[in-house]
Amino acid sequence: MIDSALSSFGAQVILSASSDENYPPENIIDGNTESFWISTGMFPQEFIFRFTDTVKMSLINIHSYNVKNLRIEKSTSSDATDFEVIAQKEFEHTEGHLQENDFSLSGTTATHLRFIITSGYDHFVSVHRVAIEGTR
Amino acid sequence: MVKLRAKCILVGDASVGKSALSQMFRSDGGHFQKNYSMTAGAELVVKSVSIPDSGDSVELFIVDSGGKETFVEACEKLWGQPSVLCLVFDVSSEASFRNCGLWLERVRAHCQGLQVPGVLVGNKSDLSSRREVETAVAQEWARSQGLEYHETSAKEMENCEAPFLSLARAFYALYQDRIQTIQTLA
Ligand SMILES: Nc1nc2c(ncn2[C@@H]2O[C@H](COP(=O)(O)OP(=O)(O)O)[C@@H](O)[C@H]2O)c(=O)[nH]1
Ligand SMILES: [Mg+2]
Repeated sequence: MIDSALSSFGAQVILSASSDENYPPENIIDGNTESFWISTGMFPQEFIFRFTDTVKMSLINIHSYNVKNLRIEKSTSSDATDFEVIAQKEFEHTEGHLQENDFSLSGTTATHLRFIITSGYDHFVSVHRVAIEGTR
Repeated sequence: MVKLRAKCILVGDASVGKSALSQMFRSDGGHFQKNYSMTAGAELVVKSVSIPDSGDSVELFIVDSGGKETFVEACEKLWGQPSVLCLVFDVSSEASFRNCGLWLERVRAHCQGLQVPGVLVGNKSDLSSRREVETAVAQEWARSQGLEYHETSAKEMENCEAPFLSLARAFYALYQDRIQTIQTLA
C-alpha cells in the first residue's frame, strides 16, 4: 500500500534535529500531506524513525517542500546504530506545490530509517509525509 | 515555542571591528580589548536572542571569518549556506565603505538566489573627528541594497546589540512568512 502512513507500520519518531512544537516530526508519519514538520534553520537536518518490527520495503515516497539534497540511511540493529546509506537524491525545486519523490528499494529491510537533509532551496524546508510500500 | 538557528556571516575589510563587535555582542558589552591580535582563523560566537512577545528565540551562530586570509581561501568555505549577513565597515575609512559593494557581490554570488536578510554596520562611530563616511550616505546605500543600517562603537559599547537583534528579527519574520506559504500548499 503506497499511501499507508508510516505510523501504521508501527513507526515512531525517535529523533529530529530541530522542531517547532506546532509542527512536530510526528506530522511526517500521520499519513496526511496537510500536516508537516518544518526545519528551524541551518543544515544538515535529520530525523530518525523506528519500527516496532523489521520492515521489508520496496518503495519510499516523500512529500516535501524546498528540500534540495536528501540522503536516506537504514539500520537493521535494535539500537539505531550502524546506519548505511540506501538512497540519495537531489530533488527538483517546485513552486506553488509540494515536491513528491519516490525511492525504489527492492525489498531492503530496516528497523530504523534516518533521513538527512543536507541542503535546501530555502532556509526552511518542510516534510509533509513519508509513506512506504512494504511488508512487516 | 520555537528556537530558530541562523548562521550569521560577518564580513567586511580587515580591522573595521568585526571581531570587536561580535565579542561585544557575546559578552553583552562586557569587555573591549584595545590591542589584540587579528583573528587568526575563523571564530564562532553563539548567542541566543529572544523575540519580544513570542516566547520564541533565534540562536545566532556568528561566523567571524578572520582578517588575514584571502577571501577565496578562507571565508567562502566557511560560509556554507548563510542565513543572515552582517556587513561591517569603519566610518573613519572611506575605502572600507567602498569595498562593501564588493563584499555584497561575493556573498550574493555564494547565496544562489537564497533570500538572505542583511544589515550594514558603520562601526567606530566614536571616531567622530576622523569620520570619512556620512551617516546619510551609508544609510542611502544600505537602503538601495535592501540592508538595514546601524551605527555602532564597539569601543564605547554603543549600539552593538542592535544589528544582531535586527537580524534575528528578520530571520524570524522570514520563518513566519514561510510557514504561511507552506500552509497554503498542503
Ligand atoms: N575607536 C574604535 N576602535 C575600534 C572599534 N572597534 C574595533 N576597534 C579597533 O579596531 C581594530 C580592529 O578591530 P578588529 O575587531 O580586530 O577588526 P576585524 O579585523 O574587522 O575583526 C582593533 O585595534 C580594535 O581595537 C570602535 O568601535 N572604535
Ligand atoms: Mg577579526
